[in-house]
Amino acid sequence: MRDIFFDLSVRSVKLNFLRSILASIGIVIGVVAISSMGMLGANMQLSVKQQLSSDVNTIMISSDVVRTTSTAGTPTTSQGIDKSTLNDITTAAGLNQVIPIHNTRTQFTIGSTDGRGSIYGLDPNDITKFLTIAQGENIKGGSDALVGANIATNFNMNIGSRIKIGQDNVSITRPTVRVAGILAARGFASDGVNTDNAIIVPDTWYTDHFGNKDLYDQVNVIMQNIDTINQTEAAIGDKVNRRTDIVRISDASSRLSSISSTLGTITTFILAIGSISLVVAAVSIFNVMMMSVNERIQEIGILLSIGTEKGEVRRMFLYEAFILGVIGALVGGICSLIIGYSVVSAMIGNTAYFFLPASIIYVPYGMIIGVVVCILSGLYPAWHASNMDPIDALRNE
Amino acid sequence: MTGTPLIRLADVSKVYHLESGDFTALNHVTLDIAENEFVAIMGPSGSGKSTMMNQLGILDVPTSGNLFIDGKDVAKMTPLERTHMRRDVIGYIFQKFYLIPLLSAYENVEYPLILKYKKRDTTGKAAAVLKSVGFDEQMSSHRPNQLSGGQQQRVAIARALVNDPKILLCDEPTGNLDRKTGFQIMDILCGLHKEGKTVILVTHDPKIAEYAHRTIELEDGRVVES
Repeated sequence: MRDIFFDLSVRSVKLNFLRSILASIGIVIGVVAISSMGMLGANMQLSVKQQLSSDVNTIMISSDVVRTTSTAGTPTTSQGIDKSTLNDITTAAGLNQVIPIHNTRTQFTIGSTDGRGSIYGLDPNDITKFLTIAQGENIKGGSDALVGANIATNFNMNIGSRIKIGQDNVSITRPTVRVAGILAARGFASDGVNTDNAIIVPDTWYTDHFGNKDLYDQVNVIMQNIDTINQTEAAIGDKVNRRTDIVRISDASSRLSSISSTLGTITTFILAIGSISLVVAAVSIFNVMMMSVNERIQEIGILLSIGTEKGEVRRMFLYEAFILGVIGALVGGICSLIIGYSVVSAMIGNTAYFFLPASIIYVPYGMIIGVVVCILSGLYPAWHASNMDPIDALRNE
Repeated sequence: MTGTPLIRLADVSKVYHLESGDFTALNHVTLDIAENEFVAIMGPSGSGKSTMMNQLGILDVPTSGNLFIDGKDVAKMTPLERTHMRRDVIGYIFQKFYLIPLLSAYENVEYPLILKYKKRDTTGKAAAVLKSVGFDEQMSSHRPNQLSGGQQQRVAIARALVNDPKILLCDEPTGNLDRKTGFQIMDILCGLHKEGKTVILVTHDPKIAEYAHRTIELEDGRVVES
């Protein structure tokens, strides 16, 4: 059988049904505001993090010795990352993908037009691990090449176009590559491989023409799990830079953390805006509870005069606030799911993350906060009721 | 009178501090009431009857002097101990019945049992007491506003009795009832006195006061006849 004080509270809420419902609507709005704003922020963070982490999941390793620019036919003698260092990196990187990269800048000629850009030498098998081919197909070897989106547009290139690589010099016949595919635009790549103005050639073709076999300009490690990036960097550093700094290790994850922290601030801000509605709701609940106490002064006098403890009177009014809070929180929770889904869908355009725990957790959060706010709003009215003088209270008509 | 009286007022005064000056509602009252007495307190308006009832019902404490109920000095009790004494030792019957409007007749009677035992009544005591005061069992689920004055007062008496208190304080218990119902209620109170209860009755009505074995007259906060 139920607690009689809870019964009394339920009956009081029923007796003043309309007033109670109106007060609960304030809580409904507050819960919806907090939950929806929280979910919006969480979905925004999840969505941006997902987009960025595909970009920042790469450790870039370059030689700690500054290299001079190399040109075709004149192999550089300066240091890069040699085969043994690459092996150390591969060992330290564990299961993560290790991609050795040759790179230089040089002149090239398409038709009769000259241009300058980067040439990347890559193992054809590595290319699709981090680059997207928008048109055509991947290079298989030989003298196939992929061109960046800007070069393709600027030079009006098609699959099968030919490019002469290297400094235009009448005494040398320049090597020619055939365009097998065109890469999707990458913009500013945080993994250091800026392909929009570059030509990608097979590593074998690159070393045949630029030298530097088994000597790489950059090695990228693509992380399977971005959360372990710091450990992997430390492992590579321990393995390779044992005595002196042979390689420089860097990543773009700091950019992700700074963007995440900015989004976190925005989420907090919009949550704070949502909280304002809960403050308004708290005032409304406080008002209703004070009305309930003031209407029941004589009843409180009866309860106190026949031996009800102060704590029991307080409990009765706190139950009433709790009931209003639970009604508001339940309705608010259901509305949050509907409204939150609509808001996320309209503002982010992607609801893939909506039902993830990090997002949906804001519904119970909002509901708990709603109930807690109600109980807090009921504290003073309950205290006020329990501390009435029973004689004065009985006299009240 | 032998032994310690159930209620002892020793030089009790109650002074209210009002804006217009101090008002002495009880003025050095000394009085003993023994167990199983039937006492009527009479006096004109403003004579201190209600203040006396508030003191006896330990809803208030004296400004000076000592009030002992059931051997305990009320002024030395904690607020919680006073609450428990109101619940266990005193049964209060009011002129305006003062039933809890949100509870049914049965629940109003069950309520003091819940206060005492912290659980709903499963012993059937509430129903038995309600029956003993002549309340129609079929009406027990009715709310107070669905009952007549006489029925409400029967419920109020049952509520006052259910925790088996030693003292019944009756503040004009027939004041809001017609004459016939009033006498029926007085018959119930007489019956309770015969069962061993100490009944203290405040009334304006000399006919009602005749039921008591002793009458205390108050005037300007003093006992003029006891």
